[in-house]
Amino acid sequence: MLNFTSEEKKVILFLLGLALCGLVLSNLVKVNCRMEGVVYPQIQLARLNLNQVSLAELIGTKCVPAKLAQRIIEYRNFRKAFGSLEELKEVKGVGDQRYEKLKELFFIE
Amino acid sequence: MKRPLVILAVFYCLGIILGGWIRINFWVITAMAIAVFAGAALGRRKNGVFLILVLFLTLLIGYLSLRNSWVLSNCHIRKLAADQGNSLYRLDGFIVSQPEFKNNHFWFILRARQIQADKLRYKCRGEVLVKMDFEQELNYGDNLTLMGNLSRPPGFGPSRGYRDFLARQSIYLIMHIKSSLQVIPEDKVTVTKSVTVTFPGPEDKVTVTKSVTDKVTVTKRVTVTLSGQKSVQVIPEDKVTVTKSVTVTLFGQIIRECLGLRYYLEQVISRYLPALPASILSAMVLGQKRDIPWLVNNSMVKSGTVHILVVSGFNVGIVAFTINLLLKILRFRRKARIILIAICLLIYCAITGATNPVIRATVMGLVFLAAYLLKREPDIYNSLASAALFILVPNPRQLLDIGFQLSFISVLAIVYFYPKLKALARLEACRIRILKFILEGCLVSFSAWMGTLVIIALNFRIISLVTVLANILIVPLATLITLCGFTLVLSGLICPDLANLFSLPTAALITLLLNINAALIKLPLAYIYF
Repeated sequence: MLNFTSEEKKVILFLLGLALCGLVLSNLVKVNCRMEGVVYPQIQLARLNLNQVSLAELIGTKCVPAKLAQRIIEYRNFRKAFGSLEELKEVKGVGDQRYEKLKELFFIE
Repeated sequence: MKRPLVILAVFYCLGIILGGWIRINFWVITAMAIAVFAGAALGRRKNGVFLILVLFLTLLIGYLSLRNSWVLSNCHIRKLAADQGNSLYRLDGFIVSQPEFKNNHFWFILRARQIQADKLRYKCRGEVLVKMDFEQELNYGDNLTLMGNLSRPPGFGPSRGYRDFLARQSIYLIMHIKSSLQVIPEDKVTVTKSVTVTFPGPEDKVTVTKSVTDKVTVTKRVTVTLSGQKSVQVIPEDKVTVTKSVTVTLFGQIIRECLGLRYYLEQVISRYLPALPASILSAMVLGQKRDIPWLVNNSMVKSGTVHILVVSGFNVGIVAFTINLLLKILRFRRKARIILIAICLLIYCAITGATNPVIRATVMGLVFLAAYLLKREPDIYNSLASAALFILVPNPRQLLDIGFQLSFISVLAIVYFYPKLKALARLEACRIRILKFILEGCLVSFSAWMGTLVIIALNFRIISLVTVLANILIVPLATLITLCGFTLVLSGLICPDLANLFSLPTAALITLLLNINAALIKLPLAYIYF
C-alpha cells in the first residue's frame, strides 16, 4: 500500500473535499436555480441600488458632491424611480466622465 | 547582543523621523557622522563606547539617507521640466511598471532617458506617471516616445495626500496622454532578404537594430513611414517583422516574464469565476485590487478586514508551504528544497507587484530559510528588522507610508502581544481543541487590532469596534478562500475540467464572506467615523 506522510494526507483530503463540495454545489445549481444566489454573490454586495440609495449613502461614496447627490435624489423622487442607469445623464451635473464612474457604483432594480 | 538588527533598524528609523522634523545642514551632519565613525573605529576595543557610537552613527545615517532622498540630481526630469505652463515635451524612455486600466484610464510609470522641449534635447533620469485616456497594448520594458504636457500630481486639499504618496515613490510629474498620436512606440524592424518597405501613415523614425539581407545591409538609423496599425507593404516572398523594441536587463526580463505570468493567472481566474468573486480572488492571491468594487472595499474597511484583500505574509507562507510539500512529495533533498522555495518566493513577490507587505514577508521568509539552511535558530524580530532595513535603506521615505506602517506594526503587535495574552488567558490549559483554536484566533486578531488601532484611527478617521469579531469569522474563511484560490489557479493551468469543479466552492466561500461582512457592519456601533 501507499505510505503517505501526515502532510500528504492533509493535501489529499483537502483536494478531495474541495472536489466533493464542487460536485455537490454543481448538482444543486443545476437542480435548483435559486442556489445560484447562494453560490455566486448578489449584485447588492458590490453596488448600491440607485432606486433605494439614501442621500447620506450617496454622499458617502465620495464620487458625488453633496449638491449633485441632492439633485439625483430629487430627480428620482420626481420620476418615481430610475428606469435605467443611462437616465443619470439627464441629471444636471452628470457628464460622460462622471457617468462612467457612477455606473460602476450603482445598479437598477 | 541578542538582536543586533532590531536595534540598528530602530535607530535607523529614529534617524529618518528626526530627518523629517529637524532641518540641519546635510554637510554638518555628514561631518558629525565622519567624526562618530572615526570615534567608533578608534574606540572599538571598548565595547560600551563602540556600541553607543555605532548606534549614534546608524541614527545619523538614517537622518542623512532621508535628507539625501529629497535631493534630486541636476538631470532629474523634475528639474528639467517646468511643471506649470503649457510647454510640450517629447519624452523618451521605457516602461517600468505593468500598465493597468484603472478609473477609466490606462496608467503606467515611464522611466525617462531623454527629454526634449522645443529643439533642446537633454539626457535625463527619473520617473513619470503616465495617464492615458485610451487602452494600448504595452508591457513592462517597452521603449516609448511620448509627447505631451507634464504637470505636478494633484494635491487634494491641504494634506497633499496623493502628491506625497507619489513623491514617496520618487514620482513628481504626471503626463496626460489624450490621443494615440502622442504615443510613438520604438519599433525594431527585422528584415529578411532585400525588401521594399512602405509604412503608410505619419512619418517617424524607426531604429533598425537587426537586419539579415541578401542584397542590402541596413545598419544605420533610417527614416521610414510608420502606420498606426503597423501594417506594412512588402514585395511578395520577402519577410519583414516589426516588433516592439524593449530595454531590459536579465533582471528586467525576469520581471517582465513574471508580470506576463500574473496577467495569464488573472485570465485563468476570470475564466472560471464571475466578475465579483474573480476580482476578490485576484486581490487575495495575486495582489490585484483594481477591479474590486468600491462598496466591497469600503465595507471591509468598516469591518477592519480589508487586510485580507492584500497579499501578505500569510500568502507567502502558503506559497512556501505548498512548494515545500510538492518538493517533499517529489523526494527532493532538504538543501535543494530550501533553495527552490527561496526562488519561488522571489518569483511570487515579483508576480504580486512587490508591494511593501509582500517584500516584508518575502525577506522574512528568506531570512528564515537561510537560518534553516545554515542550521541556525531563526529569530522573528531580527528577520522583521532585516525586512524593514531592506525597504528603508533604498527609500527611507517609505517609513511614512501607511502600508509600510500597518504591515510592520501588525506583525510586531502579533509577535509581541500574542504570547503574552496567551499566557494571561492560560490557553495551554484548554483541552477542547476547537475552542482553543477559536480563542487563539481571537487573541491574534486582538493583538493586531491593538497594534494598528492608533494608525488606522489617525489616518482613516474610523474606529471599527466589530474588528475582532469580524476577523474571527472572516480570517479563517479568507484562509480557506486563499487555499482554494491557489488550487483553482494551479488546476486551471494543469487541468481545466477540475478547475471548473473547484471554482464553485471558491465562489460559494467568497459569497459567504461578503454576506458575513455585510451583516457585521450593519450591527449597531459596528464602526465609528470621527
